[in-house]
Amino acid sequence: MIRLEQVSKSYDMGLTFAVRNLSLEVPNGETLVLLGSSGCGKTTTLKMINRLIEPTSGRIEIDGTNVLERDPVHLRRSVGYVFQGIGLFPHMTVRQNAEIVLRLLDWPAARRRERSMELLKIVGLDPGTYADRYPDELSGGEQQRVGVARALAANPEYLLMDEPFGALDAVTRDALQQQLLALKQELGKTIVFVTHDIFEALILADRIAVLHEGRLEQVGTKEDLLARPASPFVRELFAKPAEQLAAYGDLKA
Amino acid sequence: MMIAAEAGLVVQRLPDLWRLTGEHLYLAGTATIIAVIVGIPLGVICHRVRSLRAALLAALGTLQVIPSLAMLAFLLGVFGIGVPPAIAALMLYAFLPIVRNTFTGLEQVAPEAIEAARGVGMTPAQRLVMVELPLAVPVIVAGIRTAAVISVGIATLSAFIGAGGLGEFIFRGLSMDNIPLIQLGAAAAAILALLVNFTIGAAEWGLRPTRQSDRGTWKPKLKPVALASPALLIALGVAMSLVDLAPSVPRAPATGTIRVGSKEFTEQYILGELMAQMIEDRTDLRVKRTFGLGGTMICHGALVRGEIDLYPEYSGTGYQAVLKLKGSTDPNEVLRLVKEGYRKQHQVDWLEPFGFNNTYAITVRADDAEKNNWRRVSDLAFSASRLRAGFTSEFQEREDGYPGLQKAYGLSFAEARDLSPALMYRAAARKEVDVICAFATDGRIAAYRLRPLLDDRKFFPPYHAAPVIRQETLRKHPKVRDALAPLAGLLDDAAMQRLNHEVDEKKRSPAEVAAEFLNAKGLIGGRTTGTRTVKEGRSGSSGKIDGR
Repeated sequence: MIRLEQVSKSYDMGLTFAVRNLSLEVPNGETLVLLGSSGCGKTTTLKMINRLIEPTSGRIEIDGTNVLERDPVHLRRSVGYVFQGIGLFPHMTVRQNAEIVLRLLDWPAARRRERSMELLKIVGLDPGTYADRYPDELSGGEQQRVGVARALAANPEYLLMDEPFGALDAVTRDALQQQLLALKQELGKTIVFVTHDIFEALILADRIAVLHEGRLEQVGTKEDLLARPASPFVRELFAKPAEQLAAYGDLKA
Repeated sequence: MMIAAEAGLVVQRLPDLWRLTGEHLYLAGTATIIAVIVGIPLGVICHRVRSLRAALLAALGTLQVIPSLAMLAFLLGVFGIGVPPAIAALMLYAFLPIVRNTFTGLEQVAPEAIEAARGVGMTPAQRLVMVELPLAVPVIVAGIRTAAVISVGIATLSAFIGAGGLGEFIFRGLSMDNIPLIQLGAAAAAILALLVNFTIGAAEWGLRPTRQSDRGTWKPKLKPVALASPALLIALGVAMSLVDLAPSVPRAPATGTIRVGSKEFTEQYILGELMAQMIEDRTDLRVKRTFGLGGTMICHGALVRGEIDLYPEYSGTGYQAVLKLKGSTDPNEVLRLVKEGYRKQHQVDWLEPFGFNNTYAITVRADDAEKNNWRRVSDLAFSASRLRAGFTSEFQEREDGYPGLQKAYGLSFAEARDLSPALMYRAAARKEVDVICAFATDGRIAAYRLRPLLDDRKFFPPYHAAPVIRQETLRKHPKVRDALAPLAGLLDDAAMQRLNHEVDEKKRSPAEVAAEFLNAKGLIGGRTTGTRTVKEGRSGSSGKIDGR
């Protein structure tokens, strides 16, 4: 379980806050989506979980241990992280990218190779075709599949995903979302997923946390949020796509 | 015609060209490799330790702006003559581009890649080795390329301190007024720089990842070769400097090596050759020629430190420049004092002089002399303020040079330019200067229709040339004294002028001229002229620290 307790982050000695007094719990096996527009603090929150950013105050626990008491290098190796945009290493092949965490964990080469082939299959890439390519020889969707494979390599309990599909076209994004849902069923990971896309949140989330200007507006299931918005902001947020859908329905009719 | 002549020169000089190219590659290559090994970590430190960055880059920048000749001169004081100071100087110049590009390359690594490296759990060291340095490689290699090409260029100056390299052709050409030789040296160095540039470019290509589209083609197979090509080039250089293409003369196994030095002008090369060939012919010692050292103090320093065993020196130079004595201009007195001073202070012996007196001669164009009725130096006093002088740098500084001349004769010329010994005579002939400090035995005085004026106030000390040799060498190899003995009194002023003329004007090699002379005198036997031409010299004149 991941637990955030009264977590705040300020970059200017407390003048303004990127994240303010945030408390959240992510039970094992759940997918929690952090939803909000840019600058709302969702990526900052995600990065604080594996200490890419240190909180100014508050407490973050993974399995009951304060992350600040853990060695950040070990912590990060044990938590899968999928980066916004393209976080692949351009000078490494697909296989080398997928294996990187295993290399850092000193797995023997043969086992690494076996695992990376398995991983590529899991994310839907044919190892024979893709293993020895470089990232810039792949499409955006293929690149992000490799990013997911890399995050899954050491079979981590927890997966942090920072708008992984944000830069992809609609068709590719849909395919990857479906695949992630399937993976979730199959692997049973605990996932914290950051997005600004309401539909993506609705498709992937078990629960959604809406962030606005660094504060938590509401957290709950999609039904909760749609039926019982806790604030005007949340109501507005979900009204927009409903209008869009209605307009789309009219157009079709 | 031109091309045929040039091709002829290349063929004639091939053994030299081979050896000097090898040495040149060795110097530049070693310096660049050391600079890479030290420079890349320094670049990393610049990147990681912000507080050190400004100071480190400023220090390297300062090194870079020190003129290379001055740098060599400083390092000469630390390392003596030869290869070590040359490599040290080249290395110091190679540092800046490597350090700066390593630093810049690391700065330019995309922040996304760095965040990803942290995010997957790399330690800072792993991040550097696995992500940052590989991504900075193209910029770092560009720095190495700049450094290597600069090194090949500056390495031409190494000849100045007896470290060899293609600069020998250039300096020798300069000191003997031999333009094709200068061109040969310059062209070879330029081609070498292009080759170095090419191989490092190839290595960078070899380092680049093989794209999908190139797989299965010849390109991946060529990559290891491309990657190794700079190393192959350096290995070739080392091999070239070790394998002597010179025709070998069958001889008994050598019992030791005598290192003969010389300064950087024609007469010194010839005297060096005369001594070297006598030792080679009359003893079973091997001779190593370290010719063309840049000036009196460099030769003397090398002799005292035991880096060379002997070289030709002039009594007046030993008297004034080395022993700092003054007062006497009597030849016998000067020679006696010099012998005594060297024996006591430097454990060096003066052998019997060659005979001629190569004193400074204030020299003007013959037609000017006639027109103005100049015969003595004091005749110039009246016109001096309208005359332009061209003096060697050493003459400008030495107490027995221009400063003393001004006092002794009350002369002050309109201007006094620094010229290399080789250029001085031509400048006078072309009326670019009116007065020069010629050397009395120089063949060009007659060839260029110049006239030396009589030193009527007996200002210039005598300059009788003689071999100066380490006492330790004489103790170890007493045969050397006997081998050189026949050279005593062998050359009068006219004879020396003639030999100088053969080299300066007829463009023959000092080795050939020396061998011919010794043969004619019946001093060496069975040796055909020219067998030793390949080793006539080690380096040449810069004209900057010239003088007898």
